[in-house]
Amino acid sequence: MTIPNPSRRDFLKTTSSGFGYLAFAAMAQQQALKAAASSGSPLAPKNPHFAARAKHVIFLCMQGAPSHVDLFDYKPKLKADDGKSAPSNAGRNGQTKLMGSPWQFGQHGKSGLRISELLPGVASHADDLCIINSMATDIPAHPQAFSQLHTGTTQFVRPSLGAWVLYGLGTTNENLPGFVTINPPANATRTFGSAFLPAIYQGTKLGGSGLPGGGALARRFGMGNDNSTVANIKNGRYSTEAQRTQLDLVQALNQSRMKLDGGVSAEVEGVIESYELAFRMQAEVPKVLDLSKENAATKKMYGLEDDATATFGKQCLMARKLVEAGVRFIEITNGNWDQHFNLKTQLEANCGAIDTPIAGLLTDLKQRGLLKDTLVIWGGEFGRTPHSQGSDGRDHNNKGFSMWMAGGGVKGGMNYGATDDYGYEAVENKMHIHDWHATVMHLLGLNHEHLTYRYAGRDFRLTDVYGTVAKEIMA
Amino acid sequence: MKTPPLILALISITPLLNAAESSDLPADQVAFFEKNIRPVLVQSCYKCHSEESQKIKGGLTLDTKAGLRLGGESGHAGVTPGDLAASYIYEAMTWRNEDMQMPPKQKLPDEVLANFKTWIEMGAPDPREIKAVASNTGGKRVIDIDAGRQHWAFQKPIDKPAPAVQNTAWPKGDIDRYLLASMEKAGLQPNPDTDRATLIRRIAFDLTGLPPTPDEVKTFIADQSPDALKRIIDQYLDSPRFGERWARHWLDVARYGESSGKEVNIPYPNAWRYRDYVIDAFNTDKPYDQFLREQIAGDLMTFDDKRDQAEKIVATGFLAIGAKGHNNRDRRQFTLDMVDEQIDAVSQSMLGLTLACARCHDHKFDPVTQRDYYALAGIFLSSETLFGTHQQLQNNNPSTLIELDREAGLPSALAKISPAEVAQLKQQLDTAQKTAEEIQREVFGQGRTNRTAAQGNVAAGLKVRAARDRMATVEADYELFYPDGTPRTLAMGVLDRNSPINSPILIRGDIKQPGEIVPRGLVEVLCAKGEPLNISQGSGRLDLAWFIASKENPLTARVMVNRIWLHLMGQGIVTTPDNFGVMGLKPTHPELLDHLAVSFMENGWSVKQLIREILMSRAYQMSSTYNAKNYAVDPDNKTHWRSDQRRLDAEAVRDSMLSVAGKLDFYPIDGSPVARVSEGRQGLFQLAREVAANPSVNRSIYLPIVRDQIPEFLSVFDYPDASLVNGQRETTNVPSQSLFLLNNPEAISIADAFAKRVAATEGSPMDKLAYAYSLAFSRAPTPDELTAIRTFWMRFPEQVTGGRTSKEARDQGQLAALSAFCQSLFASAEFRYLN
Repeated sequence: MTIPNPSRRDFLKTTSSGFGYLAFAAMAQQQALKAAASSGSPLAPKNPHFAARAKHVIFLCMQGAPSHVDLFDYKPKLKADDGKSAPSNAGRNGQTKLMGSPWQFGQHGKSGLRISELLPGVASHADDLCIINSMATDIPAHPQAFSQLHTGTTQFVRPSLGAWVLYGLGTTNENLPGFVTINPPANATRTFGSAFLPAIYQGTKLGGSGLPGGGALARRFGMGNDNSTVANIKNGRYSTEAQRTQLDLVQALNQSRMKLDGGVSAEVEGVIESYELAFRMQAEVPKVLDLSKENAATKKMYGLEDDATATFGKQCLMARKLVEAGVRFIEITNGNWDQHFNLKTQLEANCGAIDTPIAGLLTDLKQRGLLKDTLVIWGGEFGRTPHSQGSDGRDHNNKGFSMWMAGGGVKGGMNYGATDDYGYEAVENKMHIHDWHATVMHLLGLNHEHLTYRYAGRDFRLTDVYGTVAKEIMA
Repeated sequence: MKTPPLILALISITPLLNAAESSDLPADQVAFFEKNIRPVLVQSCYKCHSEESQKIKGGLTLDTKAGLRLGGESGHAGVTPGDLAASYIYEAMTWRNEDMQMPPKQKLPDEVLANFKTWIEMGAPDPREIKAVASNTGGKRVIDIDAGRQHWAFQKPIDKPAPAVQNTAWPKGDIDRYLLASMEKAGLQPNPDTDRATLIRRIAFDLTGLPPTPDEVKTFIADQSPDALKRIIDQYLDSPRFGERWARHWLDVARYGESSGKEVNIPYPNAWRYRDYVIDAFNTDKPYDQFLREQIAGDLMTFDDKRDQAEKIVATGFLAIGAKGHNNRDRRQFTLDMVDEQIDAVSQSMLGLTLACARCHDHKFDPVTQRDYYALAGIFLSSETLFGTHQQLQNNNPSTLIELDREAGLPSALAKISPAEVAQLKQQLDTAQKTAEEIQREVFGQGRTNRTAAQGNVAAGLKVRAARDRMATVEADYELFYPDGTPRTLAMGVLDRNSPINSPILIRGDIKQPGEIVPRGLVEVLCAKGEPLNISQGSGRLDLAWFIASKENPLTARVMVNRIWLHLMGQGIVTTPDNFGVMGLKPTHPELLDHLAVSFMENGWSVKQLIREILMSRAYQMSSTYNAKNYAVDPDNKTHWRSDQRRLDAEAVRDSMLSVAGKLDFYPIDGSPVARVSEGRQGLFQLAREVAANPSVNRSIYLPIVRDQIPEFLSVFDYPDASLVNGQRETTNVPSQSLFLLNNPEAISIADAFAKRVAATEGSPMDKLAYAYSLAFSRAPTPDELTAIRTFWMRFPEQVTGGRTSKEARDQGQLAALSAFCQSLFASAEFRYLN
């Protein structure tokens, strides 16, 4: 099919209208940004409730429950009582044996924090770490606890931490989504979902198991592939130039619709804006996620050259680039920390895969001046028992475990809270997941009791009716 | 079929150790309290001595540490740590004092008294204080049911005469009078009538979820007879497309899904029967009260024949399709969570009430007590919910299904197989069974020393488990067929248990803290004062069904007419369609709502009749055009001075694209793709592969709705969470939608098909262009649009061919331009927004 050649007059008219649109678009965009800043767009940056210590979050989420007594919770008495019957409060009266950590806990940095020899790279940043040793969660089962870690509830479908943060603060780069989740496990949309919050606050997936193609084990433990990208970000058929021509047509049709609607239509305006952002994302997202331009030193620092560390290293490097580009909340899931058996080899392997990348991330953020504004969090859904399961494993333990934070206005070189002598249960400054959520939000300048959303007739918040901010860890 | 699961005796509840709450007490002391003291307090004392008691006797509460220490009105200390003599409660328990013997009916056993003695002497360690703070239930609120009945939604709707209006020429009927009265009050003028092309497009989408065909538009515009409008409305109402459209609205509130969702997503291969039941119900205009009754208690209702009976059983699938946490190791907890989900679904979808809020405490806002909740819970606990799935890793809660009568003649999702194939399945089952038995013998035959060698133990356990799971999988396959190879007709649904049970109130919803047992019953605030609340027979589901689907119920009709209004007018009269309680929003037009509710009931609860009434109103037929003066006063269109501009929902976007492209296959599929994948979790992998390899061209309602694995085409346009009751979808406008329409291969391939259809039509290029427009937009292009299209056509082909001028290249450029043009129509705001 051909369309009759336009007359010269038509040509001039149409050409001007075509370019005219581009000019209009540029203008509209600036106006939109201004309007957004005041009230318009749901993603526009919003003022926090009070001065924020952190502007971005990178949550390194260790799915499967890493063993705190082998990594961050130094228990000499557990070592001393190795092989003795576990005390009655372990739940299996006398039938299990305490197992001291097979690894050494050296002291690191000026602060002398005790950190396992499995994580030398992380340990080299000891003076930046605030290790929380008194974490607790409600249920010692992975799915429920993983859900609670992200949404505060073990049972219901509720917005995730990242969605709440984005809802509360908006984002600063309108070319990118504000909440990005890298390699999320399948069947866990709840961990980045927005539930009843508007869909725009949900996490945008990068890589991970969108389709269950990674095998059952990969799915269960979140070991997806690393071809990370945004869905439909690339047009497989047309050049950017041709697509812009097509988009000009779409936008002209939209303008025409608006005119037919009486000149004002929030809906049509929304469509126009959304196309422009999508078009910008097409250029921006691959650029941000392109790691090839990073220099050799950076790649080495993140462990990209070593097969064992390359996957997590790439993800950490992407996280840094996303923070740099203005993304508000980034989560990276790393799976397979569920060491019921083969603790000695598997925990070592897991630590080996993340240690260099995390050390690289912290170093890189620091040298770029980003660490002060970026809260880096490490942890899983619960911890593991001080007694053994079999001869070389540990069972689930929800009553006491460890997480750490760095940067973003937390005090470095400190331990917060403590478990009992063996590491079973948080006994000092217990930090339940609700408290942890409250604290993270506080660091971002949000009052967890005030950030609410009305749904089904009541005001919901991330922390439900709970949550105490741990002010002692604020720098 | 498999043996039914054990009926769960809720009453015998073993207290579990719960030492987590106390951080300062020695763990063994806490354990002692939890094991020996708390259960006694809960079972023998809380009924009269707790914050949850109907009436606190003697001013004594024993459910907090403070209350226990303090004692009651007598002034004696309840418990003094380490001092038996100064612990008045202990004295009462020993029955030594004739004036004070507790519990009053029966003295507690000696070993219990000995435990209390030990406990007081060790210092009466009591970890409850922390818990009480953590639960943060606040002060006790006593619910006044009489006062509660005053809430507008709990009073029966009354149809008052429509208000008088100044502009008597405008209204066509009562709906218009109610709306115009509110506009006049606000000093607003209704928008003019919309043009006929826009009107038929609006009607077609609202009733069928599809655009009108160019011929339908032409005929309607030409037909100036007074009956034209009614005729086109009836045409669409009678079309099978109507049921496919309106069933989807109900499936949203029925939180329809074909898998368990939650922690371990297990397919529900038989959920589609319920979906098809709903489609049929809307197509046949089943009276809405009957429709509700069947979903709650279809299995208990009288029936005409075997088919009718089977369909009524399928209707109870409503109660069985909810999301469930199959990996829960505590079967009782699983059951209670399922019942909670059922109460939530029934109450929100049918009554617009959030009754599930009363699981742990009296409702914070509505006059609904925890007692109401557990009275309802008893009804569902007395019913057996059959949802299928079989024993496997991470599924600790399978159930059977309901086998429908073979002679009912219901369709099957599976093809018939040969008797030989059945025999083969049987053989596989026998082998799997034998293997499982052998492995079990082998493992349990080993010496104890051998078995307890830790790793061996774990590995052996897994081995036994794997063999059993394998057997369960093969068994499930085998049981899908009769011996002659005909597939059995299986359905999810609900049946009554042999003997009904009443539930105890669970204090704070905690299974370990059962309180008073409440008889099964209905929700007090919705019953007239003095009316009996208790049920008459069996589980009570039939009573519940009649209680909800009743003209006496103040909520049921209101909630449904509001849902229908919402779908046709863009916003509800009550804008919280799933919450008519105290925290829901008040109706913008209460009298209109009541008018619609009453006329709905008077017209035999006919959904089609109500839709017809709304569509025939002048208000429905207004234009959506912007009007600065009205907009300044009422930007949110609360008075309905214009038609709302509405975004099409996900299904309508997809179905329209396929329809405009001439690709939509209306032939309903048998069952669902979910029914044909294997039942275990690997089924979801299989399904994802199949769906990716062969994109469906059926209507979207027939797409597989696996929770957390919603097809991208739907999820990108705000398909709701399939685990939640959802009466109103989000309508976001996000870049992922733009990216989808610009770049997604499926979207592009539908645009290609559209281009092919346009290219094949007879006529000049302008004719083709006009044809594309009439298919996509039901109108002709405007001059501005023609100009933009020409501009596009001047640049685009060349950009594609890259300056190559051969005939082949030019043809390629033209073809690409046509496809990109067709895609642009799909991508435009007009395609997604209904005026």
